[in-house]
Amino acid sequence: MHDIKRDEIMDLYKNPHNKGYMSKPTVSVSKKNPMCGDEVNLQLKIDNGIITDAKFDGNACSVSIISSSVLTDYIIGKSINEVKKIKKNDLLKLIDMNLSTSRISCASVVFSALQNALEDL
Amino acid sequence: MKDVRKDFPILNRTVNGSPLIYLDNAATSQKPKEVVDKIVEYYYKYNSNVHRGIHTLSEESTEMYEGARKLISDFIGADNPREILFTKGTTESLNRIAERWVPANLKRGDVILLSDLEHHSNIIPWQKAAERIGAEINYINTDDNGEITIEEVKKMISDKVKLISISHASNVLGTIVPIKEICKLAHDKGIYVCVDGAQAAPHLKINVQSLGCDFYAFSSHKMLGPMGVGVLWAKEKILKELEPYEYGGGMIDEVSFKNAAWAEIPIRFEAGTPNVSGAVGLGAAVTYLSNIGMDNIRNHEIELSKYLLEGLKEIKGINIIGPREADKRTGLISFYFLNIHSHDIASVLNTLGIAVRSGYHCAMPLHNKLNIPSTVRVSYYLYNTKEELNTLLNGIKKALDILS
Ligand SMILES: Cc1ncc(COP(=O)(O)O)c(C=O)c1O
Repeated sequence: MHDIKRDEIMDLYKNPHNKGYMSKPTVSVSKKNPMCGDEVNLQLKIDNGIITDAKFDGNACSVSIISSSVLTDYIIGKSINEVKKIKKNDLLKLIDMNLSTSRISCASVVFSALQNALEDL
Repeated sequence: MKDVRKDFPILNRTVNGSPLIYLDNAATSQKPKEVVDKIVEYYYKYNSNVHRGIHTLSEESTEMYEGARKLISDFIGADNPREILFTKGTTESLNRIAERWVPANLKRGDVILLSDLEHHSNIIPWQKAAERIGAEINYINTDDNGEITIEEVKKMISDKVKLISISHASNVLGTIVPIKEICKLAHDKGIYVCVDGAQAAPHLKINVQSLGCDFYAFSSHKMLGPMGVGVLWAKEKILKELEPYEYGGGMIDEVSFKNAAWAEIPIRFEAGTPNVSGAVGLGAAVTYLSNIGMDNIRNHEIELSKYLLEGLKEIKGINIIGPREADKRTGLISFYFLNIHSHDIASVLNTLGIAVRSGYHCAMPLHNKLNIPSTVRVSYYLYNTKEELNTLLNGIKKALDILS
């Protein structure tokens, strides 16, 4: 939580990027955090193998919101093949919050949703 | 109440540089030195398998194990120790009834009545058992104050209802359920009552005979005892007709290559080597609780509930769930804020050394029904103090400053 106080992180929590719903997503996947039952919904718009837009929503804690915001920012503009190569650890590095084990599961919900979404493609 | 804090070594530790304030007692309680010492003593001096050998250690070990059974039997006012079955906890106790008693006593079309405030472990075993025999499950609803009223129970009772399984106290709302009245109502109609006592046995003086229930389940670890042991109490008459839960060593009188004759109760229900140190530890825990006095613990908790309810009410935007009156609760209060997630509040509190639970507390259906997000749950016990609650209240305010 010391990290969460860092301004940019707190700013992302209060004003997350890509939060909400898009019309006619190519895929939409909801994933629950097995630890607490919170749910994140991830939607992707895909054109010619490129992720042209990504949005997320759901009832989620700060870590999950920040993680979803960072991940959606990161994948927009990338190809499906590039995005398939992203590992959970890459995301944890990107958000750089020094999370405890229980909070890693909060950060990972959106990542599982992304993996599910790509499975079907 | 005498100062008990010195009996709990863990209360001396710090978390994130602050003294630990442990307010997650509904998940598991801390253990007094007496309990831990007893377990150590058992392993250092008496360890041996029970009901097996004629050597001294085996006899002493058996005496300690059966002695613990007697202590627990007295603690909950059972008719005799044969009615006390050791299990690994409330979950196993409830599963045993669902697995063994339900198929032998219920049939297709019968109804099992639960309530909407149940913990998952008092829902899923019944769902599975009902599915197998074609029985149905109905739910008694809590009222606006988070209480289960007798009128509501009456409304749900029909000729089809054969079993009511209900918590004595809720692990989310804190509500104390009127078990005695429910049992009276049920028995007039020949309905059996099973009580999930996981959140009540640590806080209330329990007398299974005056409650009038048929089954009572609870866990050692929530009432100062070790993890991995719990109790299923049932009337002797019921146990005598009940099929064993597991089969194996220790629970038989005679075995041939074709079949086996069961030992007497309760040994019949304890196949395999039991958790002797666990039982002995729980025996020490109920002795400790009795020495303090369950009434003293109850009064202390009502004091804390009153104090905390007052303090929480002052916080802007807070939504407190469960009964408004302190004496209708055990030692816990859950609350939520609409735009701030419970995990985040728990995280800020953790930086201050305060341990609370956040989430759905194994009661998803209740949260969904009340249409509330996950909650923060503060649960206290005999060693918690008003000073700690003051630190908590300041911590919540600090969390709100950071997060909103
Ligand atoms: C009301 C209630 N029932 C059952 C249980 C399950 O107890 P255990 O995990 O010890 O089996 C709990 C524990 O959280 C509880 O609060």
